[in-house]
Amino acid sequence: MSASTPAARVLRAAGLGLWKAVLFVLLPAVLVTIWWFASAGSTDPQVPALSVVLEKFSTVWFTEPFSQSLFVKAVVPSVTRLLIGFGIALVLGVVLGVLIGTFRPLRDFLEPALEFFRAIPPPILAPILMLFLGIDHALKIAIIAVGAVWPILLNTIEGVRGIDPVLKDTAQAYRLGPARRLFALTLPGAGPQIFTGARQALSIAMILMVIGEMFAAFDGIGSAIATFQATFATASMWSAVLILGSIGVVLALLFGAVERVVLKWYRGYLRTQRGGA
Amino acid sequence: MRHAKSFTLATAAVALTFTLAACGSEAPVLEDPSASPSDEATELDGLTQITVGVLPIVDVAPLYLGVEEGIFEEHGLEVEIVKAESGPALVPGVTSGEFDFGFSNATSLLLAQAGGNELQIVAPGNFANADAASDFSSLVVPAGSAIASVTDLAGKKVAVNAPKSLLQATISSQAEAAGVDPATIEFVPMGFGEMPAALAGGAVDAAFVVEPFLTITKQAGATPLDVAFASLDPELMVAGYFTTDAYATESPEVVEAFVAAMTESLELAQGDSDTVREALDLYTEIDPAVKSEMTLPTWLPEVSEDSLELQAELAQKYGFSEGAELDPSGLLP
Repeated sequence: MSASTPAARVLRAAGLGLWKAVLFVLLPAVLVTIWWFASAGSTDPQVPALSVVLEKFSTVWFTEPFSQSLFVKAVVPSVTRLLIGFGIALVLGVVLGVLIGTFRPLRDFLEPALEFFRAIPPPILAPILMLFLGIDHALKIAIIAVGAVWPILLNTIEGVRGIDPVLKDTAQAYRLGPARRLFALTLPGAGPQIFTGARQALSIAMILMVIGEMFAAFDGIGSAIATFQATFATASMWSAVLILGSIGVVLALLFGAVERVVLKWYRGYLRTQRGGA
Repeated sequence: MRHAKSFTLATAAVALTFTLAACGSEAPVLEDPSASPSDEATELDGLTQITVGVLPIVDVAPLYLGVEEGIFEEHGLEVEIVKAESGPALVPGVTSGEFDFGFSNATSLLLAQAGGNELQIVAPGNFANADAASDFSSLVVPAGSAIASVTDLAGKKVAVNAPKSLLQATISSQAEAAGVDPATIEFVPMGFGEMPAALAGGAVDAAFVVEPFLTITKQAGATPLDVAFASLDPELMVAGYFTTDAYATESPEVVEAFVAAMTESLELAQGDSDTVREALDLYTEIDPAVKSEMTLPTWLPEVSEDSLELQAELAQKYGFSEGAELDPSGLLP
C-alpha cells in the first residue's frame, strides 16, 4: 500500500466507480445506437424501426392509470412467480444437495432418478402438470421450480463433497453438533458453489417464466409476447423483449449484491490466499 | 397416370418430414423421357412445384383430397403440403417464400396485413354450417357444469386456440349480445389438443373447440352451448388460402391454376363427405369412432367479402389490432 491521504483514496474510489458505470452502459449504448440507425425508416414488418418499438412503451406498456397498465398486469405476476419459483428451487436444491452431498449412500440411491428427471424439459410437462395444478400460478411456479432446481442441487452436492477434509476432521475433533456443523462448515464451505448454481438457475428460471406463460396463460410477459406474435404486433413484441432483457439486468444486479454480502468472507479468503502466501 | 399419382402422394408424405429430400427422390420415377428440361428449377415433368403450408386440421381436407385425386396435377401443379404448428406461424412462412401458399383464419390475416404484411386470400378455406347446433365448432362446457348459457360466462376461464383470435371474437360478440361484458371473460389460449383434458380436469370452465375435438369432448360428456362460428353468420367464411401480393404479381398463372384446382377440390369435398372422411387419414390420426360421428365444415368455392368485413369489424371492436384500421378489401386479389 502506497502512502496516500484519505482524500486521495476517496477520489480514486469515486473515479473507479465512475469508470465502472461508464463501462457498464457503454456496450448497451453502442448497441442501441446501432439498432436505432440500422432500423430507421424500416419498412420490413418483421423488423420495425426502434423509434416505433420505443413508442410502444407509452402506448402499450405504461398507459394511464399505471395500476391498470399492461406493465403492471404483465410484469408483476411474471416476476412474482419467478421469485417464488426460484425461491422454492433454492430451498429444495440446497436442502437436498446438503443431504445428498453429505450421505454417500443416499447419493448412489438417488442418482439414477435424479438424472432421469433432470433430462426432462419442464415445459413439456405443462399439459400433464395442468391436470394436477390447474392453469393458475401453481403451474407456472412449478415449471420454474422444476427447471431451476437442477443447477442449484448439483452444485450444492459438489460443493458439500468438495469441502476440505482437514476442515471436516477439525469439525469432528471439536465435536461440533449437527446444527453447528451445518451452519459453520457445510453451508459456508459449499457457499461459493451454491451461488454459482443459483446464478445459472436464475437465468433458467427467467427462460421458464416466459415459456411457462406461453402455455395457457392469460397474464404475464410470456403471454403478452405470445399475444403480440399471434396478432402480428411486431413492434410491441420487440418492446416486450426489451422489458424482458431489462428485468434480467435488474435481477442479475440484485443477485450480485446479495452474493457480495453473503460471500464477503470468501472474497477476503481469496485475497489472503493470493496475497498472503 | 396411376404411377405418377402415387408418386405425388409419396412425395407429399415424405415432404411432411423431410422437406429437403424431395429433389433427390424424384429422378428415378420420371416416366416421360421427352419431358423438356426446364430452365425453371420449380418445374419438373411439366408440373410446377408449389409448397402449401397448412395446419393439420379438418378444414384443409379438400386440399389433401384434391392432391390425392390428381386435381392439382391436372392443373399443372405438383403440391407439397407442409404441416405447421399454428396459423400465425404460417404468415412468416409465406412472406419469407418458404411456402407459396398458406392456410389461415381470416382474422389472423387481417391482423397480419395491418402489421405490414402484403397478403391476399386467393381461395376460401372453409365455412360455418347453417346454425350453431349443427356447426363444426362450438363452445362447450364439461359434464355437470353450472354454466347453462353464455350469460354465465362472466369471470369464467374459457379456452381458445390463440389469443385475440376469431374464436375469442365469436365468444365476445355472443356474450355481449347476451348482456355480458366480454372483458370479464378470461380467455386462455391453448392448443385444441389440450382442451379436452383441460375441460375434464377443470382447469378451464369452458372451451371453444372445432372438430374433431367437438365430437371428442361431446363423447366425454361435454355439453355444447349455443355459441359457434355459425352464430356470427350462418355462412361465415372462417379461413382462407393466401399468398403474398408479390407472388401473385410474379406468378399469376400459378395462382390461377391453384385457385382453379382449389375450387374443384372444394366442390368435390362439399359433394362427397365419405371421401373427405377417408382423406383425413392422409394427415390426421382421428379415432374412427370420432371420425364417423363428427360434423364436417361447409366448403364453398367463393371467397366471402362479407365474412372478411365481419371478422375485421369484430377484431377492431374487441381491440385485437392495437387500434389499427383493418382493411378487408385489401385482402382480396
